[in-house]
Amino acid sequence: MRILLVEDSKRLRSSLGRGLRKAGFAVDVTGDGRDGLWSADSNDYDVMVLDLMLPGMDGLSVLRGLRANGNATHVLILTAKDAVEDRVRGLQAGADDYLVKPFAFDELLARVQALCRRSYQRKNPAIAVGDLQVDIATRTVTCRGKIIGLTPREFMLLEYLILRRGEVVSRSDIETHIYDDSVELMSNVVDSAICVLRKKLTPPGAAPLIHTRRGLGYVLENEPK
Amino acid sequence: MNSIQRRLSLGLCAACGLLWSIGGLALYWAVRAGLLAEFDSALRANAQALATMTSQKNGRVEFDYDSELLPTFGNIRRPDYFQLWSPDGSTLQRSPSLRGHDLARRVGTADSPNVWNLTLPDGLPGRAIAMSFVPQVDDEGPPSSIRFAGKVTLTMTRHRTELDHRLTLLATALLVVGAVMAAATALVVTVAVGRGLRPLSQLGERAVTIDASSLQLRFPVAGMPTELQPIATRLNDLLARLEESFARERRFSADVAHELRTPIAELRTLTEVALKWPEDPGMAQDALQDALAVALQMESIATGLLALARCDSGLLPVYVEPVSLGPLIREICQTLAGEASANQTTLAVVVSDDDCWLTDPVLLRAILTNLLSNAFQHCTAGGSIHLLVQPGQLSIANAAEDLSRDDLPHLFQRFWRKDPARSSSVHSGLGLALAKAYAGVLGMELRAELADSKEITFVLSGAKVYSPTSVATH
Repeated sequence: MRILLVEDSKRLRSSLGRGLRKAGFAVDVTGDGRDGLWSADSNDYDVMVLDLMLPGMDGLSVLRGLRANGNATHVLILTAKDAVEDRVRGLQAGADDYLVKPFAFDELLARVQALCRRSYQRKNPAIAVGDLQVDIATRTVTCRGKIIGLTPREFMLLEYLILRRGEVVSRSDIETHIYDDSVELMSNVVDSAICVLRKKLTPPGAAPLIHTRRGLGYVLENEPK
Repeated sequence: MNSIQRRLSLGLCAACGLLWSIGGLALYWAVRAGLLAEFDSALRANAQALATMTSQKNGRVEFDYDSELLPTFGNIRRPDYFQLWSPDGSTLQRSPSLRGHDLARRVGTADSPNVWNLTLPDGLPGRAIAMSFVPQVDDEGPPSSIRFAGKVTLTMTRHRTELDHRLTLLATALLVVGAVMAAATALVVTVAVGRGLRPLSQLGERAVTIDASSLQLRFPVAGMPTELQPIATRLNDLLARLEESFARERRFSADVAHELRTPIAELRTLTEVALKWPEDPGMAQDALQDALAVALQMESIATGLLALARCDSGLLPVYVEPVSLGPLIREICQTLAGEASANQTTLAVVVSDDDCWLTDPVLLRAILTNLLSNAFQHCTAGGSIHLLVQPGQLSIANAAEDLSRDDLPHLFQRFWRKDPARSSSVHSGLGLALAKAYAGVLGMELRAELADSKEITFVLSGAKVYSPTSVATH
């Protein structure tokens, strides 16, 4: 899942970006409102974490600009403004969630995950595909009762595929949602990541869950059509 | 109870009661005197009528009493009495009603008879008149041949029961009317005082409804009595000052809370993220370094707020001594060299080695550091800052393209920033507020002027210039 973090405090930006990346998100960060609006319109983010008081352009203007451009990215406002009218104004401007500073990192993480699930119309964090059990909230994967160890990025890839299961997911979609600007993409990075994930998820003798659609992309489903 | 209404009502009731009492008594005494005069006049007329019945002939006094003509002296209920004494003191005639009793014999003349109260022989109260007179002479012949018998004395009495009854009736009527009037007065006074003081009560009731959360309310001055209008106006002024003061405090508290919220959020996220992935030593190290920076920033805010509070309360100690401006400015510029090079700004200083002020060096250094740091921070990149020292005045000017004249009143407000974003963690937003407060403590004035060319100039004026010769002569 790819997140855009627009936050004017350099330290908060850095530590939040780091934490969210560690939690398995692809995170792009910026400290300027105008840059934030440009990035959100130029990329397909799953969630945008937006501060209100920003240099260049304030958060509410960014949000209104985003919605005016027809951008439906889920937005979580993260601000020190705690008055009821501020929350109301933020939500009415098109925000999906509102969190007041100071906040617990775990709460932010849970809210961001919930918004990500909402992006793919999934309310239940526990998803089963064949023998595979994936819990997006606890970020655990089991197959036939056995825990499968995945790196954060592998989990991110699985999460993205499983949230769009049954659909053919293109390489560029995967690149957009799994890799942030900090990663220099090699031409075969998606293919090799899929290959590794497929191996980890497929028990010996079983049919793989991730299938390649040549020239189109990949699809995760129980039975190949 | 110390109540104006109660005191006024009691005072007015007491005054009215006293006036009513005096009036009632005066009326009673006037009517009584009139009735007595009337009674005495009738008594006297009767006595004179009796006197006309007395005559003397050949030196003998005769009294021509006719009981039919004078029925009131007969044996009736509550009769009149009279007794006539001859000049030698022997009783000449008694009214039949006396039945052998004697009346008191007193001296009086026909013109000025003696009148007094007494108890009549039947035991009832009466009033008597006594007069001595010379009976008319019935003798015929020349006056020289007449023998005078001398003066006879007459005492005549009459029951005064009816008079007393009328006086009692009058007193009773006056008492009843007085009591009714007293009650009516008390009622009228209470109602009138209550109505008169109602605006005062309304003022009080209005005041009760005003508390810290409703300081926008005001007392209605229009329609209020003239005496209360100045009070209401003053109270409204007080409320306006209180409202402004409370609003400032609330704004300040909100600003402080907001200013601290961001560093606290930073600190919390830094530590939570570092604790969540303890296996990453680099992250922990970075978090510690950032935490230290956040702590220093919070310390700077706390120090600034404390200094401002000290300035406000007048607790800031001031030690005045001659301060040479040249070396001080050079020293400050050296410490701020990093900020200057970061913004690629140049600083032009015009100061003479003779420029010396009589002031507190520590506070002056703080003022100049804040002003210069502010200039370096907000000067257009690559621009220049001009510091000029004139007698008793110092000015720091730099280009500030973002500022407008509307911003000038806010420049010295605590935590005010042109850009609401708190992206800068270096400046707490208290520097100019502190500089202004310190200038006030030193008896100087710090103001900001914005030229049409978008150049902001901070002018520190009112400094005492130190000159060794002038000090020596004084």
